[in-house]
Amino acid sequence: MSMTDRFFKTREFRKLFRNKSAVIAMLVIAAYLFTALFVMCGGITRETCDTVVGQNKMPGFFIQQTPEQRYENATSKFLPMVQRALSRADQTAALADVRLGQERVVNKSAAQLQAIIDRAIELKNELNQSEDLDADSARLPQLKALEDQVAMLKAPLTGWSRLMQNASLVLGTDAQGRSIFLRGLYSIKIAIQIGLVTAAFCVLLGALLGAAAGYFGGWVDHGIVWVYTTFSSIPNLVLLVVLSYAFTDSEVKDTLLPVYIAFGATFWIGTCRVIRGETLKLKRMEYIQAAQTAGFSPFYILVRHVIPNTAHLMLINFSLLLIGAIKSEVILSFLGFGVKGQPSWGIMIRDAGNNGDVVSGFFWEIGTATALMFALVLAFNILSDALQDAFDPKHV
Amino acid sequence: MSNQSAATQSSPPPAEAPAPMVRVQNLVKHFPKRGGILNQVIAKVHAVNDVSFQIRKGQTMGVVGESGCGKSTLGKCVIRLHEPTSGKVFIEGTDIGSISSHALRKIRSRMQMIFQDPNSSLNPRMTVEATLREVIKLHQVVPAGEVDAKINTLMTKVGLRLDDRKKYPHEFSGGQKQRVGIARALAVNPEFIIADEPVSALDVSIQAQVLNLLMDLKEELGLTILFVSHDLKVIDHFCDSMLVMYLGNIMEEMPCEDIHAHAKHPYTRALLASNPVMDPDHRAELTVLEGEVPSPYDPPAGCPFVTRCPIKTARCEQENPPLLDHGNGHRVACWEVKLQ
Repeated sequence: MSMTDRFFKTREFRKLFRNKSAVIAMLVIAAYLFTALFVMCGGITRETCDTVVGQNKMPGFFIQQTPEQRYENATSKFLPMVQRALSRADQTAALADVRLGQERVVNKSAAQLQAIIDRAIELKNELNQSEDLDADSARLPQLKALEDQVAMLKAPLTGWSRLMQNASLVLGTDAQGRSIFLRGLYSIKIAIQIGLVTAAFCVLLGALLGAAAGYFGGWVDHGIVWVYTTFSSIPNLVLLVVLSYAFTDSEVKDTLLPVYIAFGATFWIGTCRVIRGETLKLKRMEYIQAAQTAGFSPFYILVRHVIPNTAHLMLINFSLLLIGAIKSEVILSFLGFGVKGQPSWGIMIRDAGNNGDVVSGFFWEIGTATALMFALVLAFNILSDALQDAFDPKHV
Repeated sequence: MSNQSAATQSSPPPAEAPAPMVRVQNLVKHFPKRGGILNQVIAKVHAVNDVSFQIRKGQTMGVVGESGCGKSTLGKCVIRLHEPTSGKVFIEGTDIGSISSHALRKIRSRMQMIFQDPNSSLNPRMTVEATLREVIKLHQVVPAGEVDAKINTLMTKVGLRLDDRKKYPHEFSGGQKQRVGIARALAVNPEFIIADEPVSALDVSIQAQVLNLLMDLKEELGLTILFVSHDLKVIDHFCDSMLVMYLGNIMEEMPCEDIHAHAKHPYTRALLASNPVMDPDHRAELTVLEGEVPSPYDPPAGCPFVTRCPIKTARCEQENPPLLDHGNGHRVACWEVKLQ
């Protein structure tokens, strides 16, 4: 039987898998991880998130727009882009570059495209002369014809892009007309990325330092305890604000690096404390003394006998740190110090508040961001509780 | 070698006797107790006080005494799990205190320890096989290709079934775990073994099995053993000679032959008397010791046993009696026991 098999078939894991809410939580987390992986593989890009898909803020699969908005949409975006591309010297390359969200130029000759554009401009000018373009205007058929002309410029969407196009409107749009649904999904990747990197780094660092402090004692212990006491006196919010200012104008200011540094510097302390305590306990165990008697080097004993026996604590701490990092990320982004230049739940919540949307009843943006975060954090909380129950010997 | 023997208080071994496997010379272990603002040493636990003895090759020495008398600490100092405060330990003439930690790790294959608590002496995350393999590989006991065969031999030797190779410690009973602990100690072919209360955590029925296993192995492999126990009956059954310890000091050293007749020190006699005796010929009057063991932070000035001794005199409160040789491997530390 393999080592991993042994590990997952222990009494603790059997107990964990018997816990129904823990299994549901694990499924939810798996769904989030899958989404994050999907975004990471290019399923939803930053550009997609920044694309304006419609001015209507209400959720639904179809955009219900006023005639003014329809006119604006038809004339102001795709049409001028194609027009400009046609007027350039490198026509073919310019046409291939035209993209609006999932939409591309249809595969037709330049002459054919020019003909469609000419007709569209004609219709546009006719409509432009009328003053009363409202819901019961007699000119609605002309508006429809204009929209049809613009649609003829676009390559028909198929399969995946069509699905994305429709899905982008499911939860409405924000004040700038960007898809809330896609931005919410993209934020999953940001949250999971920050959570995983922070938790993995901090658990490894905390475990190594904690085990070394507990096992070697003496000045190693004094040194490590002094370091973490000093670091724990720095509030990580303040550290992040400082780092955020320090990195202004540097090339990493739009990346997640400042966030990683601030979290990495402060989050390992809890794990380090716990593992140090556990190591102090393990050090008195006779199997450690037996290993010393056998003549193993201190480093070998630490890596082979001490650290593996703190694995359960590392697991629990990993899941707790992951939640902590995600929550802190959202708060920091909300305050404007965390994620920059890409969507995050914190930024979505801030945007929703800033534009007064929440007050006027458009709660989709804040609702989506908080619901996605709530489900993830709740699932992880349930999982860490279940882990604690399953692995803590005092809870048998 | 000759000047080293002269340094001990015991009589030099007879010419035909084998050289001592283990020689302990004036071993002292104090544990400092720290406190106060500057974390200074405010008191010392006198765990082992000026202990000297030797064990000849192939002999079994028992160490007996009540809880906290320093017998386990003595064992751990001999095998250098604790660093002694002063004194020397020689393993076949090598002073293991003076060699580098690297050389010490090499020499560790010659001395091994069997631990008291089978529940904590095995790494819960390692199978029996992995536990044995790692020590065999460390000291390269056998060539790499023969490690598996060596593991099988060891398991058979200690009476474990070969199907148990891949089992984890929690799948075994206490007695079986202790057998794994014995197999681990034997894996590196040691010559000297310290058994630190190896049976005190086991059921009585299992105790006999494990003791018999140890005796068989001792005969078969010619092991030298330092056997620590609080149980006089076990020591009497198992050992060639014994040390009686009280408050970190040796009170009496004697061969384990008819101990009821030979015991001279009042403490040893009290220990014997507190044991129920099955033989009516040896039934002694019950002398129950009064009072408590003095605090090891502040041992009495004279004889350590003076606070509870039934035959103490004024001299006992002033001077600590030396461990005097009464001949025939018998040493006693008592002013009132006269040399014969």
